[in-house]
Amino acid sequence: MLTLVGMSHKSAPLDLRERACFAENAVPDALARLLASTTVSEAMILATCNRVEILCRTADGGVAAPAVTAFLARERGIELPVLERHLYVREGLHAARHLYAVACGLDSMILGEPQILGQVKRAYAVARGCGATGVVLDRLLQHGIAAAKRVRTATGISRHAVSIAYAAATLARTIFDDLSGRSALVLGAGKMTELAARHLVSQGVRDLVVTNRTYSRALQLAEALGGTSVAWDTFGEELARVDIVVTGTAAAHPVVTRAQVREAVRARRGRPLFIVDIAVPRDVEPAVGELDGVYLYDVDDLQGAVDAAMDERRRAAEEAWRMLDVEVVAFDRWRQSVDLGPTIAALSGRLHALGEDELRRFARRLAGLSPEQQAVVRDLARSLIQKVLHTPIVSLKSAAVRGEASARAALYREIFGLDDPRPDAEGSGTGPTHAIQGGKDD
Amino acid sequence: MARALLAVALAVHLVGIALAAVGELRHREAVARAGALALAAAWLLELATLTAIGLAASAFPLRTGPEYLLVLGWFVLTLHLALWYRSRVRAAALVLPPVAALMVLAGFLLADPPSRTSPLTTQGWFVFHTSIATAGVAALAVSFAMSLLFLVKERALKTKRSLRVLTALPTLEALDRIGFQALLYGFPLLTLGIATGMVYSATVHDHIWIWGAKEIFPVIAWAVFAGLLWARFARGVRGRRSAILAIAGFAFALLTFVGMVR
Repeated sequence: MLTLVGMSHKSAPLDLRERACFAENAVPDALARLLASTTVSEAMILATCNRVEILCRTADGGVAAPAVTAFLARERGIELPVLERHLYVREGLHAARHLYAVACGLDSMILGEPQILGQVKRAYAVARGCGATGVVLDRLLQHGIAAAKRVRTATGISRHAVSIAYAAATLARTIFDDLSGRSALVLGAGKMTELAARHLVSQGVRDLVVTNRTYSRALQLAEALGGTSVAWDTFGEELARVDIVVTGTAAAHPVVTRAQVREAVRARRGRPLFIVDIAVPRDVEPAVGELDGVYLYDVDDLQGAVDAAMDERRRAAEEAWRMLDVEVVAFDRWRQSVDLGPTIAALSGRLHALGEDELRRFARRLAGLSPEQQAVVRDLARSLIQKVLHTPIVSLKSAAVRGEASARAALYREIFGLDDPRPDAEGSGTGPTHAIQGGKDD
Repeated sequence: MARALLAVALAVHLVGIALAAVGELRHREAVARAGALALAAAWLLELATLTAIGLAASAFPLRTGPEYLLVLGWFVLTLHLALWYRSRVRAAALVLPPVAALMVLAGFLLADPPSRTSPLTTQGWFVFHTSIATAGVAALAVSFAMSLLFLVKERALKTKRSLRVLTALPTLEALDRIGFQALLYGFPLLTLGIATGMVYSATVHDHIWIWGAKEIFPVIAWAVFAGLLWARFARGVRGRRSAILAIAGFAFALLTFVGMVR
């Protein structure tokens, strides 16, 4: 059975998450200890700044949660009662569903954030690399990672920008073809302007001009961002040249006036100008936004874009959950087909045992035949049994594809008396190979 | 036969429009592709219709106003498909296929009985004039579509409301650039179309100019486009004002058909 034991920003405070977290290079040893000390046969540890989760599987269907919780307490030196208060446990398909949701960013602090998928991939690679995963976790993770990619693309849950600085850069990208090689003017050298400017640089803006009332600060920021600095009273000339303006000074009154920008617009010959004003009180006269070809966004406008983006993400999340449920059902069908292994093995064992019995019963009457002829009779019996087995097994596997494997398997067990305590029903020892084949077939 | 074929083509065309719109607006790549495929099928069917008409009449299907509209719609769809496959400006799917469909639909509904066609219209010179003019107007339709999208996008940027519109449409720069490029192709063709029309009129009717919608509106459209080009090159006018002029010019160019189908 699948079990997931974990804590996240939703269930545990930061100091506890810090204590429970595993460093990536410590994960392989921890996994080895987990597999050695419990009944767990496959496991993976996902440890990020917002969550610590142990996903595992017990081959015998036993309950793993208490043992895994105890392991985590022991491993990270946390008192068991404290740990238990902040842990959640998901079992069976709920564990699969939780993993899928995490990979899609549906359980993240910022809904839909994309980093988590990479972290899940990394955690899986580490677990796989040290041999801690097997048939079921491999399938679950590979299927889950692919499903998360599909869900993200189809729903657009990660599409829109959800921070002010990022929203500014995103808006710039809806105006200009390509930000690389664009020029930007930065007015003011505070934290917020720096952050916004950094986003622009990360999007490819190369020609960055910084100015500030205190020139030394402008010089510092320009150096930090790889741009140049100009004297405060000359920025009017830059307005006619640059594509993007970011302002965030501490001035009490607007420092960029309509008259100034109007003059610049005339010299720009129709090139669009994008102005981001993140100062409060505002640096740019609101009337500047009415000028032709000038797109002025203040803090509230950007916040509005961020809020709208969050709304979009919440809507996308509803659709993402629906898609996930379909993916979980697909995984469940695969899992059911794996569970058929023992039934198929028992069925085959039972019929072949019957064949052996009959051959023994007729042994004396076959004694007159030559050894070659006896071998032919044995082959005939085996071949007949194989033929008889074929249709029921195919039918069972196709039932698994429809998600009806359990009921069908129960029916077979009843019809063929597979659960009867008879020595000839002991064919299930060969289960796992059948199990894997059963999985690959669908 | 041609009419039935055209009806099928229009139906496929409409399906393509719906799929393409859903695909673009809801960011469904598969749906957008299905839409493009349906539009390509409509393009083939419309081409087949034009061929059938041409074969039946043993002439280019450019004899009457409605035929002219069919060819124009088909040309616009051609340019749209080329644009769709070659550039990132996929949002044109929201404008160009519907414009093309309206033209084809108008041609379908207004279809003249063949008896009204003049034998003169099968002459090579006339065919040259109409093909050039049609290609020109089709290129101007692309300019129109880009300008319309530009205005929608610029409005969304100014009012700061619709995030969906902002991300669904291409960048302002791309819309402005492609609209202008289309104008650079369309304007010379329109000029040539008007000039050949005048020469044709002079040789057949013995006068260069008559005061009809067919003659007046193309010239007004030409004047608007000429003004727009002058403003762009000499005054650096771009963006919104350029877009409005391109839309106005295209509207005048379309009014030409009032004079052709009455």
